[in-house]
Amino acid sequence: MVAVALHEGAHPRNVFTRRDLRGDTVLDCDVVVVGSGAGGAPVAAELAEAGFDVVVLEEGPYYTTRDFTANTSAMIRQMYRGGGATMALGSPPLLFQEGRAVGGSTVINGGMSWRTPDEILARWRREAGLDTSPESLDPYFTRVEKRIHVAPMDESAIGNDNWLLKKGADAKGWKIVGNLRNQVHCVGSNRCAFGCPTGAKQSALVSYLPRALHFGARVYADVKVERVAFHGKRATGVIGRSAGGHHVVVRAKLVVAACGAIHTPALLARSGVRSRSGQLGKNLSLHPNVKVVAIFDEAVTSWKGAHQAFQVREFAEQGLGCFAAVNMPPSILAMSFPQRGAQLGELMAQYDKMVLAGLLCEDSTSGSVRTIHGVPQAFYQLAPKDLAQMQRGLVLLSELLFAAGAKRVLLPFHRARELHDADDARRVLAEPIPAKEWEVVTVHMMGTARMGRDRSRSVVDEHGFVHDADRLMVADASLFPTPIGVNPMETIMALATRAAGHVIDNARRFLS
Amino acid sequence: MNAGSRAVLRSLVPVICPPDAVPYGEAIVEHVGLSLAATPVLVQRGFVAGLAAYDLGALPRYLRRARALTGERAERYYASWEHGVTPLHVQFARGVKQLMNLACYEQPEMMAAVGYRVGPWIEEVRAKRLRVFADDIAKQERQIIAPDPLRPRAKQEVA
Repeated sequence: MVAVALHEGAHPRNVFTRRDLRGDTVLDCDVVVVGSGAGGAPVAAELAEAGFDVVVLEEGPYYTTRDFTANTSAMIRQMYRGGGATMALGSPPLLFQEGRAVGGSTVINGGMSWRTPDEILARWRREAGLDTSPESLDPYFTRVEKRIHVAPMDESAIGNDNWLLKKGADAKGWKIVGNLRNQVHCVGSNRCAFGCPTGAKQSALVSYLPRALHFGARVYADVKVERVAFHGKRATGVIGRSAGGHHVVVRAKLVVAACGAIHTPALLARSGVRSRSGQLGKNLSLHPNVKVVAIFDEAVTSWKGAHQAFQVREFAEQGLGCFAAVNMPPSILAMSFPQRGAQLGELMAQYDKMVLAGLLCEDSTSGSVRTIHGVPQAFYQLAPKDLAQMQRGLVLLSELLFAAGAKRVLLPFHRARELHDADDARRVLAEPIPAKEWEVVTVHMMGTARMGRDRSRSVVDEHGFVHDADRLMVADASLFPTPIGVNPMETIMALATRAAGHVIDNARRFLS
Repeated sequence: MNAGSRAVLRSLVPVICPPDAVPYGEAIVEHVGLSLAATPVLVQRGFVAGLAAYDLGALPRYLRRARALTGERAERYYASWEHGVTPLHVQFARGVKQLMNLACYEQPEMMAAVGYRVGPWIEEVRAKRLRVFADDIAKQERQIIAPDPLRPRAKQEVA
């Protein structure tokens, strides 16, 4: 079985890598999908099952579960774009992470699987004229949840850090929910962000892509697509280059761009696509998130147990999407500390007593992606309102951690600041913290090819078809008209599934 | 990374990393090189240029390059960048520190020293999962490739 082969490290039929592309290559197919993550993989699987000839191109390499080891920095170098050193320019610069491997960012995400909140869908109906009622999307969410096995965590896999988060939330009387994740008996190796080494996380690599391959799709890894080819306004395929330097040309009846909210607008811009709306590359939202480190008296051993088993949702409707416990290996944690030398050593000696907790902010502003000499660069300036919101979130999160028994809380600022009790949190965080002091990161990039019915205000229609082109479709988080306040993977997959259905229903129009 | 960059980084190990990491200085520098090689070309060039500027910047004050500074003088010089004259100094000092701290705590001895023994843990839970949940795992693998068309009778009907 293909699925087993992916887990066990065999090289499945129909997966081609740089070793297989030994010269210039020309391929013919019905549909070429650029990108193999949360958007590309479902489209590929659905269309392949419907009988279409599908080729998936992925810039990153192909790994199997067996390749995911305990070597954190090697995993980052191999699977993160730019070795994890990608950032949106602004003050402060905002680090963001993207997967660059077969399976895309689903291979390195935390596996949180949430439907789009009803109020966001209502906003999309209201502001973008989209048919996004919960009822109309329900069949697609249900299908996605079955395919990637969305389920609550087994209680035995929940680690001490998450129980402490729950203890704090319960003490405060705040709403806390068990996380839904795409996993089959996650056993808490807590390595989600570096490729699940047990195969429990049902990333696209071990779910949708094996399905696509089973139904005849072909996956080409190590191929960077340079541009979409056009005949007039009609997309006719893509032109790219393999990691070995060979040209790869794919001729197709339909082109699907699913490279994520940073690279999809760049691919379209490089290909000469101009949106009359002026919105291509605009409207970038990022769900900025910040983290604190709480130190307890007793050993917590946070690295044993599932990543983000709970989410505190008490303040979700106030723009603070969730609070969660998110363990990181010591090397990543040490990177974020302002301390150095002996001070760093003293702090890190308490690693086993630390709980890393983060909060996600639903941003009220937006940035942009500009394509400079063919390369995308993100720009994003945190809004004062969002900084104030995050500062409020830090007070609340610190209160929760102290309620759980924390003795110290370290704040996410470049100059070391630490708190010793909840009053301290309220006092220290009462004063505005200058933007440049913040250390903010994200993994949720959205909105740079927003969908909508009105061509003058959007880049693509509600199925992802580019308004100002023919047979060119977008299937990733670029589509989102607004940030969604929850982890975006399931929304991307559901919209991609719906779009695949639209293509199947209109096959004569798109694929003849 | 060139030899000059490596020499500067080597001299920074006692300044940035905890004292018990100093014996692993060469491995830390090696690791910084690997991390840097994975970053965008512009970042690599900027970093190498920054190291050269850092190295030469010590000359006016100490009459020797940064790579030759030790002890208190190395500490003071790095601190002058850390709290620097320009945002560029601050950003560079921060970047170096982040890369070196990452490299430092990727050393097996340093991970063990803070109690992080994730390799054996992964092996333990992986084996447990396969042993305890084999039936459910197989069921999901069957589900992944079981026919379940999105549209009924959605066969390719176009030429």
